[in-house]
Amino acid sequence: MGHNQINYDNYDPTTWVPEAENHGTKALWKTFIILSVITVLDIILYFTIDPGMPRNITFIILGVVKAAFIVYVFMHMTYEKGSLKNTIILPMIFVIYLIMLMLIEADFWNYLNYLLD
Amino acid sequence: MSETTISTEKTWSGGRSPFNVSYGKLMMWIFLLSDAFTFSSLLVGYGAIRYSYPSPPEFEIPVFEDVHHMFEEQGGFIEALTEQGIFSEGHWPSPDMVFNHFPFAHGIHLPLFFVSLMTFILIFSSVTMVLAVEAGQRKARGEVTKYMIYTIIGGFAFLGCQAWEWTQFIHEGATLNGNPFGPWHFAALFFLVTGFHGFHVFSGVVLNIVILINNMMGTYEKRGHYEMIEKTGLYWHFVDLVWVFVFTFFYLI
Repeated sequence: MGHNQINYDNYDPTTWVPEAENHGTKALWKTFIILSVITVLDIILYFTIDPGMPRNITFIILGVVKAAFIVYVFMHMTYEKGSLKNTIILPMIFVIYLIMLMLIEADFWNYLNYLLD
Repeated sequence: MSETTISTEKTWSGGRSPFNVSYGKLMMWIFLLSDAFTFSSLLVGYGAIRYSYPSPPEFEIPVFEDVHHMFEEQGGFIEALTEQGIFSEGHWPSPDMVFNHFPFAHGIHLPLFFVSLMTFILIFSSVTMVLAVEAGQRKARGEVTKYMIYTIIGGFAFLGCQAWEWTQFIHEGATLNGNPFGPWHFAALFFLVTGFHGFHVFSGVVLNIVILINNMMGTYEKRGHYEMIEKTGLYWHFVDLVWVFVFTFFYLI
């Protein structure tokens, strides 16, 4: 599926649609099983690990893994061009970084409240 | 072949789509990115407010315990836990003590069972959606109709679950400015974020119904391609993706 073979004769940006590619259903069912297993794993970890930042970061990482499977397999991101991948994925990596920073920052607010009381 | 292909050096010089996608699909991706920023800001806000409060004390009730009878003489589950200091204004409540209900299992302690079921419903409706997309790529109109109907049923099932969960939560006394479980932020953020997500699910179901009707009327067959299914599919998967994070933040963290 080289990108050079795409036909751009009579190219009209308002109606042009690339030829649909079919990739079968095997990867989809595999992803469904992976997502289900990770969800069950989430619940098991919730009741086995003590609450705290290490557990929270584990949950966020598992969430990101699930999100990656949804985006790459269900949303067909694997088959998109690298430049489109970067446009969508790079900003989200910074957002995940912000989420982690704010959790740590809020833990510090909690500590400040404790000191001020 | 040389007349019909343009080399990759000319990606941005016009006459072709730089990303090799139609403008509609590109716009859907950009919209989803902006929507992801909105949800991220809500979840970052939730995480920050959550951790500016102390965590709840350790407390365990065995799963499948009949809490309705267990705390009968103390006036009820919430009253008993408030008396023991498990629910207090001073610290965040533990989600497994708040979201422990299940339809037709009144008073039984089933922590996080119902939200897990909701997660599975949404994951499964995502699978049927992607199967509809796959059928569309093969231009199999009948299969698209079949899988779109499954997806819509999944969407309504999820919305029904959420309505039940909200009703339960409101009956227990949760409002936008107070709740019996802990700081007022807890219920306010719950209603805001799950409501915002639920509205997205509702919009997704409406879009799916529009697509289903178009497909049954043969609009896409006439057009020669089923890309509309892919674009709506992107939106529907995004709703599922957001639920993964709502689930992580509200029920696990």
